[in-house]
Amino acid sequence: MDHRENERKRPTFHGMVSPPTPQRPARTVGATAKVYPWTPVVMVLGLLALLGGMAGGLLRAGVTLPSAFQPGSWVGNAAVTHGALMICGFMGTVIGIERAVAVKLRVAWLAPTASGLGGMGLLAGQTALGAGLLTAAAALFVGVNVVVVHRQRAAHTLLLLAGALAWLAGSLVFWLRPGNTASLPWWFAFLVVTVAAERLEMTRLMRRRPGAQLLLGLLLGAMAAGAALTIFAARAGGVLYGLALLLLALWLGVFDIARRTVMTSGLSRYMAVCLLGGYVWLAIAGGAWAGTALGLPLRDVALHALGLGFIVSMMMGHAPVILPAIARIKIQFNGLFYLPLAALHLSLLVRLGVGLDDSAWRGTGAVLNAVAIGLFAATMAGAALLWRTRTRSGKGPDKTS
Amino acid sequence: MTSHTSSEPFPYDGPEELQQPIVAALSRVVDPEVAMNVVDVGLIYGVTVADGKLHALVTMTSAACPVTELLIEEMETELDRDMPPELLIHVELVWEPPWTTERMSASARRFMGW
Repeated sequence: MDHRENERKRPTFHGMVSPPTPQRPARTVGATAKVYPWTPVVMVLGLLALLGGMAGGLLRAGVTLPSAFQPGSWVGNAAVTHGALMICGFMGTVIGIERAVAVKLRVAWLAPTASGLGGMGLLAGQTALGAGLLTAAAALFVGVNVVVVHRQRAAHTLLLLAGALAWLAGSLVFWLRPGNTASLPWWFAFLVVTVAAERLEMTRLMRRRPGAQLLLGLLLGAMAAGAALTIFAARAGGVLYGLALLLLALWLGVFDIARRTVMTSGLSRYMAVCLLGGYVWLAIAGGAWAGTALGLPLRDVALHALGLGFIVSMMMGHAPVILPAIARIKIQFNGLFYLPLAALHLSLLVRLGVGLDDSAWRGTGAVLNAVAIGLFAATMAGAALLWRTRTRSGKGPDKTS
Repeated sequence: MTSHTSSEPFPYDGPEELQQPIVAALSRVVDPEVAMNVVDVGLIYGVTVADGKLHALVTMTSAACPVTELLIEEMETELDRDMPPELLIHVELVWEPPWTTERMSASARRFMGW
């Protein structure tokens, strides 16, 4: 019988009572998983979009950047296309990589590659080219999700496909109607529906009340209707969209397994804290989105409670699990992960609370938001080093922290 | 000698002395998202040990899960720790039959409030 790809000859340990533990991970890592050579390149494109988007966001918040980041250069382009860079160039690329890793098809990598390159186009001032690439990325991503649905036809995979379609709708608006902010609710819908789909999959583990799944479908349908309506009737569309976000936060708070996993420990508890904190910001974003549509000065609250409070909190929660999966970089979870998470939430309180009617505090809050994200990157790097150190020293990864 | 009873966490066919080490090894693989091990979630469809080869059939709750390979790799690593060195290990991912909540262990169902 021939051996499959992920089978291997097992080395013998003659004369040894127990094989050396520290060598085991090094001997087994990569036995089944593929690391594509282009993975780091696509990840760097996404990271550049993140850095550019953050610099542009700081400029928009009125922060004076160092002389190397003067408006008129790429930072000016980044400020104009901040939302596209953060949602499509960064998050779209990361989610595209995630899905490509999951489906294990080379062609699936075209989606995150196109979104990463689209982000670079935007930074270079080639807005039409960048928007075209982002649209192509979204269309390719729709195709990848069709493959997922074909493999597993379930409510959550259908929602993932719906999320991809929302990305495509927003990108088409961005490409065909430059300057029209109606792309934003569609792009946020892409992220929110993707999170909701993943959480719906998890809620299957709990005894779900009858009608919960139908209710989620109705809420996400209302959100999509609100996004569509925004193009023609911004006020009504915005109110519907905001209310849908608010009710979705309540749905997640009631039905998500995070309410149970927060009672555990280690990485599981940390992930649950990220999720539950994110749901609070999702509710705030929903209220602020509806309020903005009604004329209240809450636009910054609506956009950044959603983009930073909800989405980045989700990202911080999942990165310790996702990074090892997509980059084959293992990390050692530790309590320090709570520091950037706390920094993110506190900096949002400064920006969206104290800074609500004070532009100086809003700018300070924006800088602190960026610091929190930088702190998180440093924590991840430190956790990767810690894993390597523990493995090499023979202690092995600590699964209890 | 082979064994397989309905009280086992998953169907097993192979030497009896390897059954408990296999269950123990796979029970060390935890999905941090749900804070439960893969045996309790019911992701192990069955294990066969025959002809110098350990063959485990496993599934995932979602086809869109990017950590699938990582979990399979961890299952192989944990099995690798406890199995005789001459045994080949093959963990195979399958999607049929689809995973359902009926596959969860009693303790998993208690944890999730069933």
